[in-house]
This record gives sequence, structure tokens and C-alpha cells, in this order.
Amino acid sequence: MKNRDKLKQLLMDIFLLSETEFRFDLKREEIPTWDSMGTVAMAVGINETFNYHFTPAEAMSVNGVEDIIRILESKGIPFHD
Amino acid sequence: MTEQRVLNLHDLRNLPRETTTAWVTPSVRSRVEAGLGFTLRPPLQPLPSGVQTLVVIAGGTLIDEAKVWRLENAPLVKLIAVPSIWGSGAEASPIAVRNRNGKKDIRIDPKLLPDARGVWPELAASVPTPRARMACGDCWAHALEGFLSPLAGDPLRLEISKLIRQMLRLPLAGDPAWFELSARACAGQAQASVGVVHGIAHVLEGALQAQQPAGDWNHAKLCSIFLFPVMRFNQQASGKWQNLLQQYELPADTILKVLRELFDCHAFDLAIPALSVHWMDILRDPCTRTNSTTVRPSSLDYFVGKVFL
Repeated sequence: MKNRDKLKQLLMDIFLLSETEFRFDLKREEIPTWDSMGTVAMAVGINETFNYHFTPAEAMSVNGVEDIIRILESKGIPFHD
Repeated sequence: MTEQRVLNLHDLRNLPRETTTAWVTPSVRSRVEAGLGFTLRPPLQPLPSGVQTLVVIAGGTLIDEAKVWRLENAPLVKLIAVPSIWGSGAEASPIAVRNRNGKKDIRIDPKLLPDARGVWPELAASVPTPRARMACGDCWAHALEGFLSPLAGDPLRLEISKLIRQMLRLPLAGDPAWFELSARACAGQAQASVGVVHGIAHVLEGALQAQQPAGDWNHAKLCSIFLFPVMRFNQQASGKWQNLLQQYELPADTILKVLRELFDCHAFDLAIPALSVHWMDILRDPCTRTNSTTVRPSSLDYFVGKVFL
């Protein structure tokens, strides 16, 4: 599975989004389940899926799906596959 | 883990009778009347003027109710919580979990922490054997989920790992030592969070009580039943479970053996239909979302299919 698809499935599962609700340009404020606990769950899931551990500052700075991709790409995890 | 004062039976007996009153659970009423001689009053009712100290001797449910009641109605009254059974750790926690309309109302506030907790080891003798066993499961759930929580730091994990080693030396039965270990387990998890065992227990307790009133469904029973399946789930979902236990020199196989002893397959089967119906509510529970591994909609299959066995 491509990294984009892995990330999409992970975020749909964590934030309980349907296929039609998910977009790669989704912002945090558009997702009611993306609260502080959602941020913890997202960081745990990113670690499991991409083997990268968000620092607390990184996790708190994420304001949308594009931010997650940007951080992971900066760590050498490609999203143009 | 906490700076809360700890009082023994001698300290409790020396509290001034004229300004102290007590709320107690019925199962320990006669023992309290004989042993302490406080004026007993009906719980959650206004206190007479002049009362400066309220002693609550009960299980976690009444202690948590008293914590909120004191905060809202008598914030200047000193609250001393004495558990009549171990497991909840309510006496040592700034968290109050109350049943409201079949759902859990969870409040977190430093002012909810009782001013002191009392230890009365002899009360362990009044706990029926099945209930004692479930209380041990409640304590194990706090310790393990607190230890594994992604919000726990190294100092907390080190402290809880020492606690877990002590718990391994105790039987899953009535033993006064559980009172102290339970308080420490709860104080520990209060600094981190818990996980999906608690998410399941919080969501299913009311539903199962309504569906199966004779089933004696309570928080401790649900923690005891689901702890083994959930820890196996965590273990199989990622290497984090095994790595953390190794890092803190905790014996995974021995811990799983204890949890397997707590597992009640018949009760688990009775709970599975409710688990399936309420799975999405469980996923939305804040405790589930701080589980040590990701719990997904599809994770339900793991539990329904008993992949953990």
C-alpha cells in the first residue's frame, strides 16, 4: 500500500471519518474528533504505521493532514509514490 | 506519586468526634460503628453546621460521589476517604467517575483529591472472594494501562514498574496489601491516562447493567474480563508492548498468566453482543484514544473472534 493510502486509512480510523469525509487538505478544526486525545492517538498511529515518533512540539503544531505529510517527508518518508 | 496524607486506624480514631461525621457503605456499617464511633449520616445529604471533617468509608462509587459533592457543596470541609475495597483507587485520585443515566460522567480537578486517605487493612476481611478477585483486576488495569500510556514518561513508568513487581507477589484474592498498591496504581494512572480496557468498561457498564440486571456488571468486573484480551491485542498490534516491558524488566509471560487467570470466558461471551453494538462509542471514549496501540473500527474482529486465546 502506498504511504498516502496508509495515512488516509490511519486517519480515517483514528478520527472515525468515512471515505467521503476524508480529504488530504482537511484541517484540524474541520474534524470534531481531532481534540487533544485525538492528537495523542494520531501520534501513536503515525509511530506504528511509519515508525516515526512525533515530538510533542511536532504533534501540537500539526494543523491538518498536509502538515503531517510535510513533517514525515522531512524525515525521509516519501509521499510521492 | 502523591503528597496526599495517609491516615491509619489510630489516626482515624483520634479525629475529633464533635466535628467529624461519616458516610459509609452498608457492608461496613457495623464495623465502623464498633471501631470508630463516628456519627453516621446518610450519604450526599447536607451536613449539619459545625462539621469540619467528612470521612467516607466505602467503595469507589460512593467515594467519587463524595468528592464531587464536597467540591460543589462543602469545599471547606476536609474530606478523608477510606476504601472499603481496593481497585478503584478513588481515594487517591483527582478524577471522579460517576454514573449518570447509564453513562459515565468523568471529572478531573485537583480539588477533587481527598485531603487524606485512610488505610484500614481489616476491611479486606469483609470483601467477598469473587469481588476481591475483580478488585485485583481493576488494580491491574490501572497499573498496566498507566504504565503503557503514551502520555507516561520514564519516571512514572519506572515507579509503576516497581509497583507491578509488588503486585505480582500478591494473590488475586483478599489481601490487605492491595489497599496500598491500589492507591498507588490509581495515583500513577492519574498522571498519564488509561486505555481501551477503561474505554470498554466505561461504555459497557451501563448497557450491560440494563440488559442483564442479574449479571452484577460493574467496572471492576469489566476490567478483569477485558484486561487479558486487550493486553494480547496491544502485544500483537505492535512491538511497543513487549519493548516497554523488557525495558523496565517486567516479565511479560508472568503478567499475561495473571491476566489469563482473571479472564472469565463465560462472562466475556455474555459481553460480546454489547461490545459489538457499542464499539463505535468505545472508539470515541477518551480512554480508548490514549491506548498504547491504535484501536481501529476493524479491531472489533480481534475481540469477537477471540484471536487473543
